[in-house]
This record gives sequence, structure tokens and C-alpha cells, in this order.
Amino acid sequence: MNGPSNQLNFDALVVGGGIAGGEAALNLASTGYKVLLVEKELSIGGKMIMLSKVFPTLDCAACITTPKVSEISRHPNITIFTSSEISSINKIAENNFEATVVRQPRYVVIEDCTACQLCEQACPVSVPDQYQYNLVGRKAAFIPFSIASPKAAAIDIENCVLCGACEKVCPTNCIDFTQEVETFQVNAKTVILATGFKLFDPLMIPRYGFGLYKNVITSMQMERELAPTRPFNTVLRPGDGKVPDKIAYVLCTGSRDATIGNPICSQICCMYSIKQAQLLMGALPMADVTIYYINIRSFGKGFDEFYQQAKGMGVNFVKGKIGKISEQGNGNLTLRYEDINEGIVKEADHDMVILSVGVLPNQDASDFFGQDELQLDPYNFIHQTDVLASPALTSIKGVFVAGTASGPMDIPDSILSAGSASSEAISYLIQE
Amino acid sequence: MAGIDPKFGEALKNYGAINFNACYNCGTCTAVCSLSTPENSFPREMIRLSVLGMEEELTSSLKPWLCYYCGECTTYCPQTANPGELMMSLRRWLTSKYDWTGLSGLLYKSLPLTIVAFLLVAIGVISFAASQAFNSETIMHYGHYFEMIAIGAVFAFILFPNIIRMWYFVMVRSGKKLSLTTYVKTSGELFIHMFTQKRSLGCDDNQFRWFEHFILVIGYLMLLFTTVFLDWFGSQNLFVILLGYVESALIFIITVDFVKSRIQKNREVSKNSQPSDWFFVIWLLLMGLTALLVRSFIGLGIIENNLWMYLIHLTVLAQWALIIVPFGKWTHFLYRSFAMYFEALLAKAN
Repeated sequence: MNGPSNQLNFDALVVGGGIAGGEAALNLASTGYKVLLVEKELSIGGKMIMLSKVFPTLDCAACITTPKVSEISRHPNITIFTSSEISSINKIAENNFEATVVRQPRYVVIEDCTACQLCEQACPVSVPDQYQYNLVGRKAAFIPFSIASPKAAAIDIENCVLCGACEKVCPTNCIDFTQEVETFQVNAKTVILATGFKLFDPLMIPRYGFGLYKNVITSMQMERELAPTRPFNTVLRPGDGKVPDKIAYVLCTGSRDATIGNPICSQICCMYSIKQAQLLMGALPMADVTIYYINIRSFGKGFDEFYQQAKGMGVNFVKGKIGKISEQGNGNLTLRYEDINEGIVKEADHDMVILSVGVLPNQDASDFFGQDELQLDPYNFIHQTDVLASPALTSIKGVFVAGTASGPMDIPDSILSAGSASSEAISYLIQE
Repeated sequence: MAGIDPKFGEALKNYGAINFNACYNCGTCTAVCSLSTPENSFPREMIRLSVLGMEEELTSSLKPWLCYYCGECTTYCPQTANPGELMMSLRRWLTSKYDWTGLSGLLYKSLPLTIVAFLLVAIGVISFAASQAFNSETIMHYGHYFEMIAIGAVFAFILFPNIIRMWYFVMVRSGKKLSLTTYVKTSGELFIHMFTQKRSLGCDDNQFRWFEHFILVIGYLMLLFTTVFLDWFGSQNLFVILLGYVESALIFIITVDFVKSRIQKNREVSKNSQPSDWFFVIWLLLMGLTALLVRSFIGLGIIENNLWMYLIHLTVLAQWALIIVPFGKWTHFLYRSFAMYFEALLAKAN
């Protein structure tokens, strides 16, 4: 399998095809360098492509991401590997990195697929759709999501029953069950780590009842309900399909909380919750939206105005962290908290609760490197050795960090960070 | 309104408070507390007052006594500010505030001083025995009287004035006027809580802990009654003798379990033990054990030749009665019940 065609040479290896990795890859490619962009999911675009709108401008996230994603896909200097992961990166010398990249079979020849969705219709297997954060189902033969890039089908082999129905209906014969795992040896002169973050899993806080109470969902699920490509085409609560009219946001779910091992602020939850609250007021004009918070951290450009705007629209802000959530017979939820301004413990009823889940480090990158140690910071994000003067530098010379791989940040900061990482990478490439 | 005193927090650390300055006022502790109500929301308010050092508000607050330390606040505190232990420390601090002699505070804050006090009492007992030429009959005779006198004196001169001070801090300073008949009519609360600690049943974790504690309190009070008024050591009545054995055995068994959980630190409530907690539970254990042994020695007729056993018991008893009861953790028995009584009174005044 490991023939000469699996030996690849690039100027830069970018790990992670989210908005930061994509931006860094574009910057490098537009400067004339050959870039390999490695993405472990079936589509590039990262988490941003899943979002509804962005704060504080309320621009459509997909409308910003998709042109960028298609530019990345079509750029002659960028090679994209989806469903691929790094198994190791070794630094041989300056400007000489040797990486092993493992590509999982998609069982679909991307170039031949027209995304006609006939395979989806033919497939008899239904499983929760991870790209809709389990709000709805999908088939085992499926297009990841409508604005995916590459927009091509994939076979979820874990759940596939190998009935061959998709193969029979495929008009271009692009389904190929003989595909195997491929291993590539990649030589690159520089590496950019844009491995992003993980969302906090609220199952770790059983007293909030996520997974147990159907009408307690995460902010990412609400993000999907509000997105243009949303699964239900309206906002509804998953328990019974009722349109909610008393919605609660629980801020700092999995952030600033030492008991679950993440004592730091996630930096985005206040603002995305305020954004969702505004969108909800537009989508459901009669609904009450309450945000329970410890502190509102609206620190960026235009953020505080955005917060004041939400208040002006009638979003209810209550200072006090939710202690516990219990479910009533009708699926409504009772939230117990201390109203900090009054110093009194209170209970409030809501028919839908959104847990504003925080940002956790993605520690994948720490395992890539052999002899050179990629240092992590105390919170297990990638350590920035010169955070003030050169924030893209890591503990390994020639390896740069972009976006939330180095810590929680919002989209504009991720793009800035990607710009910084690509500039550092270019100057490292030129120094040779 | 009292001024802000940042040094107060430092003082409170001597009573066992840890890390409460880390509090960022999210209110999780209050929200997860199963005893917290809209009328009495805690512990966050207590943490805030402690951080700011608002002593006057703290002195007149009953909230520390309304907490029965299930420890959920500490388990879930996102800042690991340990609100449960702060409440415990405030109870120790309040005990020293109520105590007019000031000895409680000194003993809480200084382990060496506590040890000196225990040694002094031990020396006193041994000297007394020596002055009686180690005659077992006279020593046991006086030992029996000592119990009665000590109980009477400690109540009259220490505990009663301290309860009055607590009443003054809480009730008089509240400015609420209550008639004597209300005091009398509500007094049932005092005794219910004194003998049942039923409020602690409201804690989520607490059913078994409550049961153990309940048996311990009843066993302790009955043993006191059996030895002092039924003259367990002198009695020939089989029922009285057996009753005493059962009571002292119960005290021993339960305190062994309490000591064990303090060593294993297997519950929030037993994770942070101050010297006063160790002394309280170990001396209670020793009281049960030595009383049991003394009575067996008497039953076997070997106490005259083994007076040391009785002297150990008397020493433990004297240290208990002269140090732990008036100035140590024993007082929570009174203050908790009076706090519930005062709380019921204040509720009526509103």
C-alpha cells in the first residue's frame, strides 16, 4: 500500500480544517506555498460552518464560511485530506518535518459523487446525525450536511449493514467498498497546528439532567435549531415538539468550574448566548428568554453594545448560577438558583433549558511529536512560548499554533491568530 | 452597619476556614443546599460577610447553626472555596463569641493551650487522688459528687450566661419584640430539636448520619442520667446495670465509626478535622469505653486493686466536663437547639 505515491512533499502541513486552519492554509497558499490541509472530519469548515449567526454583527456564519471553504477547496496550492488524522510528526531538522498521515476510507470516490442523495434514500439504516448534534437522524450512507465541503456522500461503515442498496442506486458508481485505510508519509517544511477545541460534555454535570431530561439541550444544539440549514425548520423543544415560550440559558456550564477540571472562562459563551437570545426573540416573538449568569463578559469590540441591545430587546438577565435542574411531569423544568442581587434562593420554571457549554482543550496534538516535546499550558491548550510578542510560537521551532488550539477565543480572534501563525510560518520558510 | 474588615478572614482561618476568599459569588452553594430556603438562604451570604469581615452581622446570624453540613456546597463549589467548612468554622467562631470567658476562642485557636488545659486537669485529678491516699472508696464517692457539681456549676456559670449572650446577639439586636407567652408557646421547638436534631433529616445525604447521631445523643444523655442519678457504679439493680452497659457500648460503637470516618475522610463533613473535633469525638469514645471498663471492674470486684482504671475514667470525665462541655464542641448541642428555637421565634415576629 505504501508505494511511492504515498510519499508527499509540501511546504506546509496544516493540521485542522476549521476556520483557523483554513485561514492559515489560504494565507500560505496565496503566498505561493504548497499546503496540505489535514481534517479528521468528513468536511472542512470546523465548528463555524455549523453555526447560525456570529456575534456581535449577526452575520450569517455559513455565508462567511462557505465562500472561504470553497476558496480553500479550489485553491491550486492546497491539497485537502478529509477523514484523515496525523499519527506522528518528527522534526528531522529545521525546515524538515516528517509526518505520517492516516486516511480513513470514505467508501465513496469524492471526484465522482454528484451529491444526488439517492444513496441516502436507499440506505435502510438510521442513526443519530452527529452533524446536527443528534437532534435528528441520518442514514449510514449520507451527505454529512448540506453545505459540507467536499459535498460528497460517505459511508458510515460502523453502522452500515453492507446491504449494497446504495451501490445499486448510485448513478455514477462512485461507491467503492474496497477502499482501505491509507497511510501517507508527508514531508513538510513547517507545521501549523489548528486542532481547535472540544465542547464540554454536560453529562459530566448530572445535576443539570442533560441526557435525562429531553428539553435540556446544549447551546450547540440550539445553534443548529437556529441555523439556516436547521433540522426542524423552526425552533422547538426535542421532548414533545412544542414550540418553547419560556427559555432559560445556563451560563458557565463546564467553564469556570474547578469541579469538572476546567477553572477558566471559555470567552465565547456569554456572547453566543446573548446572540442566540436575540435570534430567539426574532424567531419566537412571544417567548421569554432568561440568561442565568455569574458575570457577563462582553469584553470585545461591539460586545457590550450587543449585550445592551439584548437587554433592550427584553432578554431577562439574572445573576446567579443554576444549582440544579429538575423535570416536571409535562417536560417543563424547574431551575434552582440563588438570585445574587437579592441573596435569596429561588426556583424558576422554564419549558426549555439551554446549557451554554464551554470550551475544552483538544489534546490530540500533544501526541503527534516524537522526540520534541510540544508543551501544553496548565489547562492543556498548546503552550504559547511568547504569548505577547509572537503568539503563534510553540515550544517546537517551526511548529506554529492557530486558533482555539492555544486557548478559548472567538471567531475574529481565531482568524487573527491564523493570520499570525501563517505569517510566522512564512517568515520561518523564508529564513531557510 | 458595620465597617469592612479584611483582617477578619485571617482570624477566621484560625477556626478552620479554608480558601473561602476564592468565592466568586455564583450562588451554586446556596442553590444546591437542601436546607436553604427563600427565608433563610445560605451559605453564600455567610461567605460574603466573612470575606468582608462584617462581624456584627455574623454574630447575630443564626444561619451557621441552620446548616447541618452535608457538604454538597463544598462538593459542587466551582471555585473550591469550601463553603461547608466555612460554615463549620463560623460555628466554632460563634461559640467563642457567645462564651463570656473568652476561653473557647483561646482553646479553638491554640492546640498547645488545649493540651496544657487537658494536662492541668489530669494533674488535678491525680493530685486529688494522692491527697486521698489513693483510697478507692473516698475517691469514687467524691468522683460521683464531682459529676453533679460539675454539671451544675458549668451550667450556672458558663453555659447559661452564654445562652443569654446568644439571645442578646440574636433576639435583642434583631429589634423584634416578642411576648413572654410566645417564648413559652414556642419552647417546644427547643426540646424537639435538642433531642431529635430533626432538621438534619433535610440534608440529602443524611438519613444514616442522622440516625447515628441521634442514637449517640440519646445514649449520651441516658448514660449521664444513669451514672449521676441512678448511680450506675454503685447500683445493685440489674436493670440499671444493664442499661448502663448498653448506653456506654452504644456511645463507644458510634464514636468509633465517627473517628474512623474522620481518619478515612470519606465524607465532606469528616474531611477537615480541627483539634476541637478530634478531642470531642475521642473523649466521647473514651468516656464510653472507660465507663464500660470501670463498671466491669466493679462487677468483677477488682476495682479496689485496679484503681488506675477508675482514675483514668475520672480524668477523662473531668477533662470532658471542665473543658469540652463548657468551652469545646459539646456546646453545639445547646446552641443548635436554641438557634432553632430563636429561628422559630423570629419567624413568628415577622
